[in-house]
Amino acid sequence: MTDLIFSLHSWPRAIVHIDGDAFFTSCEEAIHPELKGKPLITGGERGIVACASYAAKKLGVKRGVPLHEARKICPGLTVLPSDYETYSLFSRRMFAIMRRFTPDVEEYSIDEAFSDITGMRRALRLTYEDIALKMKTDIERELGITVSVGLSITKVLAKVASKHQKPAGLTVIKGRDIARYLNDLPVEKIWGIGPATTNYLAKLGCRTALAFVQLPEKTVRQKFTKPGVEIWQELRGESVYPVVSEEKSTYASISKTKTFAPPTSDADYLFAQLARNVESACIKARRYALAPKKIVVFLKKQNFDSAGSEAALSRPCACPLEFSGVIRDLFNACYRPRELYRATGVILLDLVADSSIQYTLFDDPVHAEKIKDVYAVADELAEKFGKHAVHLGSSHFIETVGRGRRGPPTARERTTLEGETKRRHLGLPLIHVKT
Amino acid sequence: MEKTRDIPFAEGAAPFVRVGAGDIPGYVKMIDLFGALQAQTVSCLCRIVGLQVNGEVCAGFPSPAEEELRDVISFDEYLVAHPETSFLLSVTGDSMAGAGIMEKDLVIVERGREPKNGDIILAEVDGNWTMKYFRKKGKTVILEAANPKYPPIVPQTQMCIAGVITALVRKYHK
Repeated sequence: MTDLIFSLHSWPRAIVHIDGDAFFTSCEEAIHPELKGKPLITGGERGIVACASYAAKKLGVKRGVPLHEARKICPGLTVLPSDYETYSLFSRRMFAIMRRFTPDVEEYSIDEAFSDITGMRRALRLTYEDIALKMKTDIERELGITVSVGLSITKVLAKVASKHQKPAGLTVIKGRDIARYLNDLPVEKIWGIGPATTNYLAKLGCRTALAFVQLPEKTVRQKFTKPGVEIWQELRGESVYPVVSEEKSTYASISKTKTFAPPTSDADYLFAQLARNVESACIKARRYALAPKKIVVFLKKQNFDSAGSEAALSRPCACPLEFSGVIRDLFNACYRPRELYRATGVILLDLVADSSIQYTLFDDPVHAEKIKDVYAVADELAEKFGKHAVHLGSSHFIETVGRGRRGPPTARERTTLEGETKRRHLGLPLIHVKT
Repeated sequence: MEKTRDIPFAEGAAPFVRVGAGDIPGYVKMIDLFGALQAQTVSCLCRIVGLQVNGEVCAGFPSPAEEELRDVISFDEYLVAHPETSFLLSVTGDSMAGAGIMEKDLVIVERGREPKNGDIILAEVDGNWTMKYFRKKGKTVILEAANPKYPPIVPQTQMCIAGVITALVRKYHK
């Protein structure tokens, strides 16, 4: 079964996928060497485990578990607040090291990237395996974190490879060896296959990736939508997804969520947080010159349930001042005074280019243009004085009571070097050791 | 064209190209030299013996052209040669005071760099973190403080080098 051959050529393409091992905690271990190898989690400010170190994972602490439970499982657990500034610095460096080998690097998330190294063997005088290995060792030596690397002939297979051996693994899946790696792989572990598809595949009798790729093409095309067919092709070694090295210049949707503590049922506070979510999401939309046609707001309850409501705008708009009334209505539709809420959030949907907006008959274009000008100035002020320097009256409440962080500030936030301000730090990670 | 300078050719028929120096900027020389080289490779018939370059005469001081500033580096580049592998460390203790490294100074630590004899390194020795001179005699490594108060350290069980100190920063005002 496992000697099935999907690709005769070993390297029709060569795609590397690099995935940081327990990335957030690894970064913390790199700047706090005394924590190396200790049970450690980040996410203290959110009240749940955002990332658990391998030592903590070994003791049974999993991602998404509430803090009090994590502490019960592991009494000596070190809990740190998330320090996204440091994680971003490490992330940027990881991608920069990959770019030494090829400019074709796709930053997939803060701790994951794809890189297309097809044709780089001669230029670098290395085999594909050695290029992948050198990327890995360079990152590990220079950043002091470990990464898992997968090398294969498509993106989906490269991801299968990087997951195959974690942490600090390097797995190579050549065209001829695909079947061997898909044999033991449950379908739900494949990138892009969610619970619904997993159930559907189970009905078709496919529990492993190998069973899935052995389905005849006709069946796959009949029974699956486009993404399903593409994953099927990629798993068979047919590269469909290109490595996109351009920075993301557009989005299909933008969402912003904020978890705060303690959970509250205070309507003013919740609405202020929600208004702030809307403002943050709109700042991002305006940065990419986009405007949403549809807005979804949601409130997360203490028991992790959530309630949401949505509205369509009469015309796309990324200026919260224009639709704060709509947000108020949406909030009232899902808010229940007797519930305790732990987070608010907003999703901007159906984003279109800001330049091609048609006013409707009942709009007041002069007024709308004025508001747009106001936001252009507000964005400029934010550049100078910090995000949300100018904000809606409805979100001002959180400025007066603090922005709702839980727990102590990060080690970086507690250190202000001579000449730094609270908002602007030097762009190198700070090591915290006492010598 | 008072001063001339001889620039030897790497290979080729014409032994020298004489280029005027002094009153014309370097890049003009380069362009002309390239031109000469090209002409030479295209045809051996055109042998260049001398090259006359007459610069323009400007009245008053010339405005600082972009080309004049092309070779400046920022403080970032000056202090941090390898930004992808450099980290900051705020100094604690006075063990390197003799080397001019004081408490609260900022040092730049380059990770993954092979320390040379006499480099200042950041290392974990037998469970303690320390910043010291790296001295290597044969196979033995000694970590030496720049302060007579602290005796040299000889790693007993293990030593892990976190990085080499490549720069020191001290600010007196905001």
